[in-house]
Amino acid sequence: MMIAVIDYGIGNVRSILSAFENQGANVFLTRDKNKILESDGVILPGVGAFSHGMDSLNKHGLVDIIKEYVESNKPFMGICLGMQMLFEESEEFGVTKGLGLISGKVVKLPTKDSQNEKLPHVSWNELNSGKIQWPNTVLENIKEGSDMYFVHSFVAQPNNESNVLSTTEYSGYNFCSSVKSGNIYGCQFHPEKSGKIGLKIVKNFIRMCKE
Amino acid sequence: MSDKLEAYYGLPNEVMFCKKCVISNQRPSSTIEFKNEKGEKKKVINFNEECICSACVYHAEKETGIDWGDRDGKLRELLAKFRSNDGSYDVIVPGSGGKDSAFTAHILKYKYGMNPLTVTWAPHLYTDIGWKNMQEWMHTGGLDNILYTPNGILHKEMTKNAFHNLLHPFQPFIVGQRIIGPAMAKKFGVKLVMYGENQAEYGNSIEENTNPIMDMDFFSSDDALSMKFGGVSMQEYIDTGRYSKDDFSPYIAPEKQDLIDAGVEVHYLGYYLKWDPQECYYYSVDNTGFQANSVRTEGTYSKYSSIDDKIDPFHYLTTLIKFGIGRCTYDAAQEVRNDKITRGEGAYLVEKYDAEFPNIYFKEFLEYIDTTKDQFWETIDKHRSPHIWKKVNGEWMLRHTVSKTGTDD
Amino acid sequence: MNKIRVIARIDVKNEFAIKGIHLEGLRKVGNPNEMALDYYNNGIDEIVFMDAVAAYYDRNSLSELIQRACADVFIPITVGGGIRTIDDIKNALKSGADKVAINTKAVQDPDFISQSSKIFGSQCIVSSIEAKAIGENKWEVYTDNGREPTGKDVLEWAKDVEKLGAGEIMLTSIDKEGTKRGFDIRLYQNVATSVLIPVIASGGMGQGDDAVQLIKNVNIDAVAVASILHYKLESIQKIKNTLIENQIKVRL
Repeated sequence: MMIAVIDYGIGNVRSILSAFENQGANVFLTRDKNKILESDGVILPGVGAFSHGMDSLNKHGLVDIIKEYVESNKPFMGICLGMQMLFEESEEFGVTKGLGLISGKVVKLPTKDSQNEKLPHVSWNELNSGKIQWPNTVLENIKEGSDMYFVHSFVAQPNNESNVLSTTEYSGYNFCSSVKSGNIYGCQFHPEKSGKIGLKIVKNFIRMCKE
Repeated sequence: MSDKLEAYYGLPNEVMFCKKCVISNQRPSSTIEFKNEKGEKKKVINFNEECICSACVYHAEKETGIDWGDRDGKLRELLAKFRSNDGSYDVIVPGSGGKDSAFTAHILKYKYGMNPLTVTWAPHLYTDIGWKNMQEWMHTGGLDNILYTPNGILHKEMTKNAFHNLLHPFQPFIVGQRIIGPAMAKKFGVKLVMYGENQAEYGNSIEENTNPIMDMDFFSSDDALSMKFGGVSMQEYIDTGRYSKDDFSPYIAPEKQDLIDAGVEVHYLGYYLKWDPQECYYYSVDNTGFQANSVRTEGTYSKYSSIDDKIDPFHYLTTLIKFGIGRCTYDAAQEVRNDKITRGEGAYLVEKYDAEFPNIYFKEFLEYIDTTKDQFWETIDKHRSPHIWKKVNGEWMLRHTVSKTGTDD
Repeated sequence: MNKIRVIARIDVKNEFAIKGIHLEGLRKVGNPNEMALDYYNNGIDEIVFMDAVAAYYDRNSLSELIQRACADVFIPITVGGGIRTIDDIKNALKSGADKVAINTKAVQDPDFISQSSKIFGSQCIVSSIEAKAIGENKWEVYTDNGREPTGKDVLEWAKDVEKLGAGEIMLTSIDKEGTKRGFDIRLYQNVATSVLIPVIASGGMGQGDDAVQLIKNVNIDAVAVASILHYKLESIQKIKNTLIENQIKVRL
């Protein structure tokens, strides 16, 4: 059982690899088409600018590989920027096209126009349930209201409520903190940085890959 | 083979660096300052056959060969002998309120139950941070203090002479500093004087470490008029008509026999407690309101060591000129021995900071010793020993450095 | 308001964790990896590793430490001290750090902040500011681990780094750090109201109540603590309980 973490030069991959290894997975970093397609699970990491991320994926020919992998219905998880890129487009620095795997777009985190609300959103924050029940998802056995680590200025806005796995409140606004579409998952937070609860999510994903 | 270069001050001709710390074999041992003559031969730190300095040898022993529990017992015995029970002072602690004396006085009072009187031989020119720390020593540390400031006119002239004749501006200061402990003890009828660390920590002869009572020759003289200050005898100062013997009372050491009769004993706390100057810093911040300086001290990397006298940087400048080792070398050597930094790190720091010129108080120093910039440099250059310095393209460079970057390395 | 992050700051020299006072002194306090793991297991929210002597030796050498930390500490890790080039940042992030803290280099070359935040993203770039009080409501920026004054005003510099693209500010009070006598509240009041990026208060925490006093008076985002943990004055749980008892939200 092998889990591939996509290597496109972006993101704190070492922590992701450590977290998955820690939870007993056979995990490796790659951008090789065959290795990705043959894996039992794929992670798309990423931090920073949407356009930069998409450029890099395009440069390495990874967009088509990801789309092809996803058709297999095997588990796929995007983390932080990785989640944002699942969507159709982002309004950061003008409009940039995303992977288009989930319907919706990425916008700047709406904050109240007050001195108290800072961007980027850097903090531990609570996961609240969305439309989807958490059993049989990566959030299985996670307690409602658990704190996860967030660091971002942009958020995804899924067009379908049925894709919303969890929401989180920041600055009076409830944004989508994780998504699900079939076996595609996206986490705006960093499970590999969210302590022991984050590791549980990692473990859940690993279990799905085994099935 | 090249001719042997002349070595001033009778220093060893071959420059060597300790293999364990960064000190060189040019480092002088303590002298009897008021006999300090122009051109006299210096006794230097000892290096053994393995090229390790005696301070490092002492430190190795300090780590394993000394029973500190036993020494603490000896300290308590000693203090019990002198502890007063009528509220009078029972120990004199000389010091400036720097981290070492702050630690010494405070711990004697609050841990060992003594009644110390701290006595300060005033720095030439207090720095702001030095004065603040001195005050905090009293106000936050909860200690009594007498600040003794000698007649500035004479002190300045002595310092000026010391600079030009010996390239040792601190010499008159050191005379007074060594004397004040026992002198105050005698005046107050106190028998015990406790200094902080033993100079043997820095490489004076090892035997001193096993004998806590300082060699009495350091502070008594039977013939005051022959005492020299800045290489000039007291008689010569008086002969100028500007001074009388009265002016010299702060510098006249007590009669040796008087001290013996009064039962005065001088000890080093560093003999009884495992001494660590950096730990004195932490202790004094926690207990006596000590604050490090806000900026790095010129010529070294730290902010907390010897920061109370504006003239202090010039003392280290002169050691650099005479012996090729500056403030950073002294600081780093000590920290290497105390396991705070590695020898490699020490060497790197020395290369970076040792030769840094002390600009901040340069103007004040020149005014203090009534010397022009040209006269300053003339005196400085006169004292560069040929076996240490070489002039290359009009610039003076060291022949040997601990990192082997000297002209002759 | 966000949940307040409680961050452990571990100053490192070679293989030792050290703790100074006023950014001076190299007293050894333990093994940095063991300490990080211990704090992680006890509920700390983040770890900051600072190379305390990078300025002395013109080097930075924490990559091995970070790699080891990442293997079993799964919370955000920031590394600082001697970050001088884009490569330094790349290496730090590759070793597993999430953020880098930059001070001296940024003061010497402010463009470094904009460059690095463009390449790595603002969220990776923490501006580390060392502040020394020089008057009523006036602080000066220091570099080289609290050794070299710069003549720069802390408030002005904080606003500058925000404009240049820093994602967060870690603001250390040189006067308070290591003293365990509480935070320089005025400093944070002044800075936190002048910028819109998160500010981490560092320096002075001796007991949980110090954080309470600070947070009640300033819109701060996080506190970085050191002495209180390294000298085992209070446990992380106790600190967090004190905050909760005072209606301050934290991650449990």
